Amino acid sequence: MGLRKIINKVLMLEILKGMALTFKALFRRPVTRQYPKYKREPFGGFRGLHALTRRPDGDATCVGCGLCAAICPSKCIKVRTTTGPDHKKIVKQYEVEVLRCLYCGLCVEACPYKAVVLTDIYEYSGFTREEFLMTKDKLLANWDRFAESRKKSYFARFWRPLLSDFKGSAEQAALKDLSKAQRHKDIYIEAGR
Amino acid sequence: MPEQKGKLRKKELTINMGPQHPATHGVLRLELDIDGETVVKCTPHVGYLHRGTEKLGENRTYLAALPLTDRLDYISSMANNVGYCLAVERLFGIEAPERAKFIRTMASEMARISSHLLWLGTHALDIGAMTVFLYAFKEREWILDLFEMLTGARLTVTYPRIGGVRNDVSEEFLSSLYKFTDEFPKNIEEYETLIDQNRIWLQRTKNIGIITAEEAVNWGLTGPMLRGSGVDYDLRKYCPYDAYDKVDFDVPLGKNGDTYDRYRCRMEEMRQSARIIRQCIEKLPEGPVMTPDAPKFTLPPKERILKDMEAMIQHFVLVIKGPVTAPDGEIYSAIEAPKGELGFYFISNGTGKPYRMRLRSPSFIHASVLPLLCEGALVADVIANIGTIDIVLGECDR
Repeated sequence: MGLRKIINKVLMLEILKGMALTFKALFRRPVTRQYPKYKREPFGGFRGLHALTRRPDGDATCVGCGLCAAICPSKCIKVRTTTGPDHKKIVKQYEVEVLRCLYCGLCVEACPYKAVVLTDIYEYSGFTREEFLMTKDKLLANWDRFAESRKKSYFARFWRPLLSDFKGSAEQAALKDLSKAQRHKDIYIEAGR
Repeated sequence: MPEQKGKLRKKELTINMGPQHPATHGVLRLELDIDGETVVKCTPHVGYLHRGTEKLGENRTYLAALPLTDRLDYISSMANNVGYCLAVERLFGIEAPERAKFIRTMASEMARISSHLLWLGTHALDIGAMTVFLYAFKEREWILDLFEMLTGARLTVTYPRIGGVRNDVSEEFLSSLYKFTDEFPKNIEEYETLIDQNRIWLQRTKNIGIITAEEAVNWGLTGPMLRGSGVDYDLRKYCPYDAYDKVDFDVPLGKNGDTYDRYRCRMEEMRQSARIIRQCIEKLPEGPVMTPDAPKFTLPPKERILKDMEAMIQHFVLVIKGPVTAPDGEIYSAIEAPKGELGFYFISNGTGKPYRMRLRSPSFIHASVLPLLCEGALVADVIANIGTIDIVLGECDR
């Protein structure tokens, strides 16, 4: 054992070093957020509570194709449809069992009409299971709540191919036009709150 | 060894450690036969967190089974997702575009850092160093925030897709991650200042739970457990997937195969991970993040569904029935997950669902080595041994 090692051992230098570090940490800025007082804004594309978007006339955008129910890994979406007087499909029932949901966002990806979305609402608690059975009305109400508080465009982040994915190619230009139309659609969803 | 001595009988005491024990990191139950402070026999019991992931995988389409893999090793769900997608891609014979590969590499290294930070924090906490736990969680929080920025969820990310990744990275995310890789090595130095030379830490880890290289290979250990014993085996180097062949990194190796060497290995790995992330950001190529060459296996872009009949039909078939044009055959594909080699074995029979999905999870194999580590050691070292094998029971029991 060298002299240095003995000095280290007797004076407990390595422990003192550690203590010095913790002492320094006393003067650092705290990283903890006092949660109910301060809330961090969720990042764009956060996968929280479900909602059904509205058309400009105020109805739900959902056409009842049932793709969300088909892809759901935990089978927690239930869609029932009937035929209306003018042979139109009417979505009679649209339910999401929120307690069984995985929040994977595959329903959002499967929906061709951007009718079902995951909002960035994350504070929802209740005392009964019934409160977490989201019926169509509740889901539409969620959308209203989300649309009111929304600052950024939701779809810009969540969507699979962002515009920047296709820089330069010919197919790209075609898609860009399409997505211009898409942007209009986004605005119209926004307007339809 | 029951012994008769006068009227007093002496025999081992059998105690159950777990399933609800704070140091077992989940629901591991160890049946310990102890003689005084020495463990005579150790029998691990697993299965308390069994959810039937493999069976569930057979009843979901290839795309819908992806969120199940999040719940295997829930600390590094990104690595599981990448492993799953990679296996399915190899089965289908498709390849993700270059940009997606770099993003995946970056994201799986983030998962590695997050996993190792949690391991470091809890392992040190079990052994008695509480400060490291608090410090490590500070950086882990940053990583989880980055995950949220990238994917919209902190833990169960469901981010990669068969044939790419779900969405592109934003500039905001990349700059924050770059800043992280700048600062993270300094943070590692801090953890090392706290415990690296600390005499209590050294006493609790040096020469505890020794596995020789031969034993490690025989038991099928992988990951830092194997490299801690000095065996140079890393799937990222030896059969590179994604963008690992385009980045430069070292594989840290241990020497003695004790708890301390494995600790050193994991600390070094975190440094290398930060280095890989940095290179990925610097080399990130332009291009699509979802392969455009495999319309039969990937969901078409949303813009096209309502404009193009072909795309719409494809979308409906893929969502409802899965990729029904999937080729027959079987495949084993493995990645280097933070815990070790995570393998996926698929048998496909040409329907949209796998006929069989089998997982080779490192945690299960590492849990089986516990008797080797614990027998003959002290009861207090059982805690150190559970910490050092770094198991997650979600993956172990599947």
